[in-house]
Amino acid sequence: MAGSDLFVGTLDILILKSVSLGPQHGYGIGRWIRQTTNEVLQVQEGALYPALHRLQRKGLVDEEWGVSETGREAKYYRITPLGRRQLRAEASRWREHAEAVSLALAAAQP
Amino acid sequence: MKRRFRLSIGERGIKKDVAQEIEFHIDMRTRELIDAGADPADARAQAIATFGDVPRFSEACEGETRKRVHRAAWKERLDTVFQDVRYAIRTLGRSPGYTVTALVTLALGIGANSAMFSVVDGVLLRQPPYANASRLTVVAHPVPSLQIADLAFSPIEVSEFRAGTPAFDQLAEYHSMAFDLLGHGDPRRVQTGVVSADFFNVLGVKPYLGRTFAPGEDAMGAAPVLVLGYDFWVNQLGADSSIVGKSFTMNDRQHLVIGVLPPLPAYPNSNDVWMPISSCPFRSSPQVRNSRTARMVSLIGRLGPGHTFQEAQRELATVESRGHVEHPDDYKGVKDASILASPVRIAMKSDADSAFMILLGIAALVLLIACANVAHLTLARQLRREREFAIRGALGAARGRIVRQLVTESILLSLAGSVIALGLAWASVGALARVAAKFTPRANEIVLDWRVVVFTLGIAVLTGVVFGVVPALGDRSDLATRLREGGHATSSASKVRMRSLLVMVEVALAFVVLVGAGLMIRTFEGLLRTDVGYDPEHVVTAHLDLNFTKYNTSALDRQFDDALLARLRLQPGVVTAALASEFPASSSSPQNLTAFDIVGRPAPDSAHEPKAELSIVTPAYFATVGTRILAGREFTEADRDSAGRVTIISQSAAHRFFGNQNPVGQQITVPGAKNLELTIVGVSGDVRQFGPAADVSEQLYLPFQRFTVRDARLLVRSNAPTGATSNLIKDAVHALDQNQPVIDFRTLSAARDDAMGPWRLTTILLALFAAVALAIAAAGLGGIVAYTVGQRTEEFGIRLALGAEPSAVRWLILSDGLRLVIIGLGIGLAAAVASLGLMSRLLVGVRSTDPMTYGAVAAVFVSVALLACLVPARRATSIDPASVLKGA
Repeated sequence: MAGSDLFVGTLDILILKSVSLGPQHGYGIGRWIRQTTNEVLQVQEGALYPALHRLQRKGLVDEEWGVSETGREAKYYRITPLGRRQLRAEASRWREHAEAVSLALAAAQP
Repeated sequence: MKRRFRLSIGERGIKKDVAQEIEFHIDMRTRELIDAGADPADARAQAIATFGDVPRFSEACEGETRKRVHRAAWKERLDTVFQDVRYAIRTLGRSPGYTVTALVTLALGIGANSAMFSVVDGVLLRQPPYANASRLTVVAHPVPSLQIADLAFSPIEVSEFRAGTPAFDQLAEYHSMAFDLLGHGDPRRVQTGVVSADFFNVLGVKPYLGRTFAPGEDAMGAAPVLVLGYDFWVNQLGADSSIVGKSFTMNDRQHLVIGVLPPLPAYPNSNDVWMPISSCPFRSSPQVRNSRTARMVSLIGRLGPGHTFQEAQRELATVESRGHVEHPDDYKGVKDASILASPVRIAMKSDADSAFMILLGIAALVLLIACANVAHLTLARQLRREREFAIRGALGAARGRIVRQLVTESILLSLAGSVIALGLAWASVGALARVAAKFTPRANEIVLDWRVVVFTLGIAVLTGVVFGVVPALGDRSDLATRLREGGHATSSASKVRMRSLLVMVEVALAFVVLVGAGLMIRTFEGLLRTDVGYDPEHVVTAHLDLNFTKYNTSALDRQFDDALLARLRLQPGVVTAALASEFPASSSSPQNLTAFDIVGRPAPDSAHEPKAELSIVTPAYFATVGTRILAGREFTEADRDSAGRVTIISQSAAHRFFGNQNPVGQQITVPGAKNLELTIVGVSGDVRQFGPAADVSEQLYLPFQRFTVRDARLLVRSNAPTGATSNLIKDAVHALDQNQPVIDFRTLSAARDDAMGPWRLTTILLALFAAVALAIAAAGLGGIVAYTVGQRTEEFGIRLALGAEPSAVRWLILSDGLRLVIIGLGIGLAAAVASLGLMSRLLVGVRSTDPMTYGAVAAVFVSVALLACLVPARRATSIDPASVLKGA
């Protein structure tokens, strides 16, 4: 798997969206991103972790250690209220951005 | 879901967590690959490959976590502090008595130090506000045999010094004179600094407005220019910013204003305006320019880079001794004139500086007393809080945590105290600066600035740590024991011992402060009672400096003087009037110490030459100042003509130079008076010419009419009030000449009081400090006696029930308190004897070990101690034995 073809900041939104659905460990987050984006957005799996730790430092996600579905102790990430606010703001910004780009691309006249 | 609690996590924990997280990911991935049908043998390798660069990602994760953990740790530390502070505020609020007492004590102790530090910092510690301060060298020309601190230099000597001193970049000259200034309002008499053009450049002073003197503006014949002093510009010209470019008339010439100076120290003098030497009619006259003895200017130089004061001193001294060798005639009477080069900060020191240092030292003692007292209050409070600490300890609070809580409380108290202290200092610093301005040139640098604030906060934190930690020192007992002892607060013996020790320290320190104040009060009271040899009441003095462009011959001078005195003597209320070159206490050091020869005696070597301070006075001078003529006569109007080669000497001079011989009728010659032979016609009473603190000076008086003084002092003895007399003098002068200024009205007694200024200030401040010290120490003593009485209520009750006399119980209590006082006084006595010798310079007529003062202070202490113990003692003996026994 080559490097990411994601726009800057996209990975953060995807992580926040993933954990907003419920606590999840890093592996699960990566799997969710792959599946929900139909494997179009490819993230190098290891790159997920520095992003997660950065989001934790910024207080957007929090950690809690729990037992995984395979019965092993794993680090779970949970969204914080601050992270939820950030997700809402980023999502609407993302939509505006995408709409604007789509409009531009749909323009008939030069 | 199970949670793992992590309050703090170390470096190893960080690494382990990240490794575990990544390991989990790779395991999960491997499992998924196997489930999807991969070969279990290389599924794991494949999983790692999909993950990417494991070490790089691990490191990135660890970096982020490390930052997060550090920040959390700091936040936790801050939270603990805030928590401690909040808790401290709550507990302090619960004991307002303790809090208020401690705050007041600390505020007074710290405030005294802040105020004194701002003074000492302003006048002593910081560099003067000149850009080149560290390289500025003031050159003096002292003549030790005549007690002349600075003879000054003649312009010819100045040019020789400039040529012979490579150590200096530049060497500027300075003198100061008064001139009449006309234009922009009333005619004014202005004190004028007269300088070479490089003077401000040497100091490193940048103008506030316009510019300072340019090179060449001091050349003979240059157009006259003026630079205004800041205070003059603000106070006399209303800070008119358009003043640059306008002109004033001085000495009948137009002077163009080229700039305004920033606020500067009143050094070397306080000047209103400044002009280059070419604008000064005296300095530019041929007599001054061409005479080696026209010594009227001072020198201030800037050292070149890499040059030292010692080098400058050597070079200057070489030039000086060459002058002595090549021109011996020009050093007649001042054969021992020498050179003294000193850094400007040293040269700017005033006589009052040692007083300021002593005041700061005493203020430090007051703070120590305050510290000891608050420590002792804190101990008392801790004794009451033992149960609280025991419970907190039992609930798991570490001993360190409790000590930290106590130190937080004490630092909080001392910081709050220092805020009040800064308020006190801020309120008093203006008044201190105003008073100090009378005896130091640097009073305008006495301000409450960040240096004072930093100093104050620094001593506040130190104070807080001291009185917070000292009480904790004596405490070694463990918490469990204390809890078991239950019920009421238990007095651990070590704490009581510590309290007694602290009270003894308070008493000892307060004794030193009180003895210091006592010595100062004795000095000041002695000065007030000193027989100054004249009668300072009802005499008004004024400064009459005749405009020399108008009164340009001595005949015109004399005409004006005679007319003025005649007119004044006719005014209602006026008893006598006189003119003189100076009057008692008009200066604090000899101004005209003059060597003379006694006719008919072999000339002694210069070290043993008769010398006396010379004053030039009109008839009625002695009657006006109230000094008696002990033998012979006073000057008369008849002494004005050539027959009047007469002089009057003071009693101490007569005694010293003529012994038992009758001086009246003897003849002397004074070199300055063109070697005229003068006949002594009278002997006057001794006068303390340089203020009450100075010794009687040997005086020589010459008749004013023969030796004209243009810059004279007018003295009028009158029955009218001071204000009326001043107006009367003004009217009389203006009736003769509308444009002749007469300034500087001051009563003779005010001049005497001003001469005692440093002693007055020191006495008042020390008395204040002493009152604070005594109050704190007495409160401390009363506090501990009351506490012990409280502790021993049962014992006293039993004693009384068993038939003890109340007086015996009272004595028991008194003797306990007195024991502390007497030990404290013993320590204080030793400390005072050892340290107060430092005050010797300030003491006049009393020794630093004066037994009277020590005895009186000890008596004050014992009486205050008795009072402080009596109240609790009375309470103890009014106990109802029955109720105590029932309670016990």
